[in-house]
Order: sequence, then C-alpha cells, then structure tokens
Amino acid sequence: MRKSASYTDEELIEAMRRGDSWALDTVYKRHFGLVQKFIVNNSGTREEAQDIYQEAVIVLYEKVNDAGFTLECAIATFLYSVSRRLWLKHLRDEGRKGLIREEHDAMSEDAGAIAEQYVEEESRLQKMEEGMRLLGEPCATLLNDYYAKSMSMEAIAEKFGYTNADNAKNQKYKCLQRLKKIMIGAGT
Amino acid sequence: MKDEKLFDAYLESTLAAEERTAFEERLEQDEAFRLAFEQHCDLLSDLVLLQKRLVIKEQVKASRMRVMPAKTEARTVFYLRTASVAAATAFVAVMSTILILSKGGYLLTSRSNQITELNRKVGELRASNEGIVEGITRSKKRTYAPANLEASAFALNNQGYILTSYHAVKSADSIYVRNSLLEPTAAEVVYTDATIDLAILKLKNDSVITTWRVPYGVRSTAPEIGEKVFTLGYPRNDMVYGEGSLSSLSGYGNDTAMYQISIPVNPGNSGGPLLDEYGQVIGVIRGKESSAEGTGFAVKMVNILSSVEKNGNDTLKLDLLKGSPKKSQIRQIRRPDQIKKINPYVFNVLVYKKD
Repeated sequence: MRKSASYTDEELIEAMRRGDSWALDTVYKRHFGLVQKFIVNNSGTREEAQDIYQEAVIVLYEKVNDAGFTLECAIATFLYSVSRRLWLKHLRDEGRKGLIREEHDAMSEDAGAIAEQYVEEESRLQKMEEGMRLLGEPCATLLNDYYAKSMSMEAIAEKFGYTNADNAKNQKYKCLQRLKKIMIGAGT
Repeated sequence: MKDEKLFDAYLESTLAAEERTAFEERLEQDEAFRLAFEQHCDLLSDLVLLQKRLVIKEQVKASRMRVMPAKTEARTVFYLRTASVAAATAFVAVMSTILILSKGGYLLTSRSNQITELNRKVGELRASNEGIVEGITRSKKRTYAPANLEASAFALNNQGYILTSYHAVKSADSIYVRNSLLEPTAAEVVYTDATIDLAILKLKNDSVITTWRVPYGVRSTAPEIGEKVFTLGYPRNDMVYGEGSLSSLSGYGNDTAMYQISIPVNPGNSGGPLLDEYGQVIGVIRGKESSAEGTGFAVKMVNILSSVEKNGNDTLKLDLLKGSPKKSQIRQIRRPDQIKKINPYVFNVLVYKKD
C-alpha cells in the first residue's frame, strides 16, 4: 500500500467524491498542523483549533461532493483560508482582536467567500433544524423523504401507511404549511 | 394549499405548456404570488441543504474521531448517552406494550418454552447433518481444523472489536474468526456480560484491520414492531441470509433486553447482527424458541451499549464506538449490494476446547 503522504490533492479529491472515508481521514490528518499553528499563534487554544478545523473540513467536504465545484487552489490553501476566515469571525464576535500572524503564504479569496456563505447558511439552517424539530414526526420525515430524498409519493404512502399516494400528498402539503407557519413565527 | 400544489407542479415540470405560461405570467404580475413562490423555493432549498449538510457533518465528525483520538472521549460519552436515551425510549415503549398486552391477558399464560441457544454443536450436528450440509459445502476446501463449536459474529467498528454470543465462547480455549475474505484469525475475549449473552472479541493481529471500513452504524432510535429486519450468519460454512419482521419488543420470557423476530434462525446463527432495512445494527442474534419454528430472539443493541457503559473499562468504552459510522452508509442501496458491503464484517466463529 502507498504511504498516505504520497497521494496528490487530485487523487484525494477524486477518492473523497467516491465516498472513500480513508481519503477524508488523510486530508483531515494532513493539514491540521497548519491550521492549529495559525490559531494557536493567534490567541486560540488547541481545542478551538480542532473545532474551527472541523468546520473548515466540513466546508471542503461539502464542496467536493458538489458536482459543479472545482477546487482552484491547493487543499492546504483552501482549508487555511476557510479556517482563517472562521477564526477571524470568531475573534470579532467575542470582541477579541489583535494583529494576525499568518502561517501560510498562499490565500484564496474564493475560499474566504465560501466560508462567509457557509456561516450565513448555518445561521439559517439552525433555525430550519429547530423548525423541523418543532414540526415533529411524521411530518419531518415525510418532508425529508419527499423533498430531500426524492422518494416517490407511492413509496411514502406505503412507508407511512397512507391508503394511497393522494392521501400522502395531502398530508405532505399540510406538513409543509405547518412548517411554513413555524418558520415565519421564527422570524425568517 | 392550492398554491403549494401549483408551486411543486411547476418546479417538477409537470404543468402543461399553457399552464406553465400562465404560471410565469402570474409570477410577473402578482407580487404576493411571486413572494410566496420565492419563499416556497427558499424553504425547500434550505430543507434539502440541511439534510445534505447533516450527512456531511456526520461523516466529517466520524473522520475527526478516527484521526484525532485526543478529542474522542467527550464524543464517546455523548454517543453512549444517546444510547441510554434510546434505551430509555425503548423501555417506555416496551412497558406500554406490556401494559396493553396485560389488559388483553396475553401475558398471563405461563410460558415454559426453552430458548435454544444456537451455536453449532458441531459434534452432534455434524454427525446427523453431515450428509446434507457437508455435501453442499464440500467443494470449498477447509484449511482449518474442525471446531468444537461454531457461531456467528460481526465487527462493530474499524478498531477490531467483534460482537458475538457469550454462550458460544464461554469456556473456550482458543477462538478464531473467519469468513470468505479472512483466513481463520485468532481473537480474544475482552468483555463479557452473561446476563445479556454478550461477548466482545478483539483480533489479536492488528494488521488485519487496517483496511476495515465498517459500512453500518448502530441505530440510535428505538425500533418499532413490524419493521423489516434481516441477519447474516454462519449456520454452515458459507454465509446465509435471513429476513423477517420485528415481532415484539420483548423476547423469550418477556425479557425486555431482547427482541422477538420472525426470522427462522438455525444453529450457528447466534452472534450474527440483526439489521434494520437501512442496514443499521439493532441487535445480536441470540437463539430461538425450541417449540416455535420461525421465531428467533435477538439481544437489543441498546442493552449491549449500556452494559459496556456501566461495566466496561475505559479503553473499551472509548474504542467501542470509534471508527464506525454513526449513520449507516448503506441506507439507499439494494439489499444484495448491502449484503456485499456487510459481508466482510460478518464472521464465522470457531471455538476450540481442550477436552
């Protein structure tokens, strides 16, 4: 077996797209040192570095799984730029500031913008997650099965024990309306 | 409600051409309609994004647990806590079932059926079944000595931990596991709990597990009666598949640590995994009722996890759920493909005794 260090970025991205968890592990391991150094040298702890880095890997992994996305820079640069943006935001939110000491010479504007977008989405999705929790079962699963998993109404009717697809469909619209009410109530 | 149907029909392109044109014209002219449509689209795209992201997050967190062991302690505790919540939920479910059943008087009948423990008592069984069973498998060359007793087992995670039945491995002098991809490999018992018939084995040779990628996870929610379930095991030298339903949330003698299943289990199935239709582990095959064919029992996974949480040593607690996906990675694929992925992690246990 080849040493994990010998795999190129392209090979790892290809393998991550195929869902190979080993490739994700390799990427996860490979660049933590860099991000940890940046965060620890900029008034963070090792634990904070681990949490920020985890978010950055989530951003990368989501993008890699997005068919329309091509990585325009090295994985190291992407993870560094995303982590850096997330860390600066964290410092700002906590009213901590200071001079930023860089640890990596390359930086990606695109990755920074992707990080901003991620943070924005996360605040919306947190509300959505809470909304789905309030919506409860079977509505939450029913909506997910139809919209996120693209299950057919027939399959859903069978799974939830509705007599036919039309009944399931009516139920789905009731669920959707309730979710909309909850989300409007939550101020979105 | 009518607008929403229209929105979905438009998004799914099931509107006729003129309806489509009318819809688009209305979007341009009717401000309130357009806003409602945009809101609908935003909501649905967030719904989809949320589900996708939850999966991504699970995978990345699992990866973090594999590569950054320093941080796993808190997470393992979290998982085990989730397990106890699930155990509590299952307990409530079982209790309410019992209450309902007791009203019907079903539990008042005394049950004297004995549970048959399903190891292959090779000595007895071979003698009577040799003609049939060995005839079928003769073509496969056995490269190992016949064991005194055989059972099934399965990997719980990528760390080399394997679950099986306590009754199969008790008083063993040596234990080996094998399957179609793995030559008999020595294993040792690292944990037992006779009250729930649980034994946890660990492979002695770590190099075997470097390529392990266990595709299934342990289900964290309580299963319900009527769910389709299946098992894989080694009632003979080749793996055998069995499927059925979850018949009851309690097992033999109303034992709430067990499920009753409608899978015909055979000697040798003991210790095999019980999986739900999404390929999530919910139990370990324990045995069958000797008087009722086609009925089996399985120990609940939640009881296994809480046993380890209560009595296991720290290394075991930390390692047990490390490196197995929290969500099954074989949710959406056909059963034959699920089996192909599970196959490398289900084992035939060979138990050797000195006497």
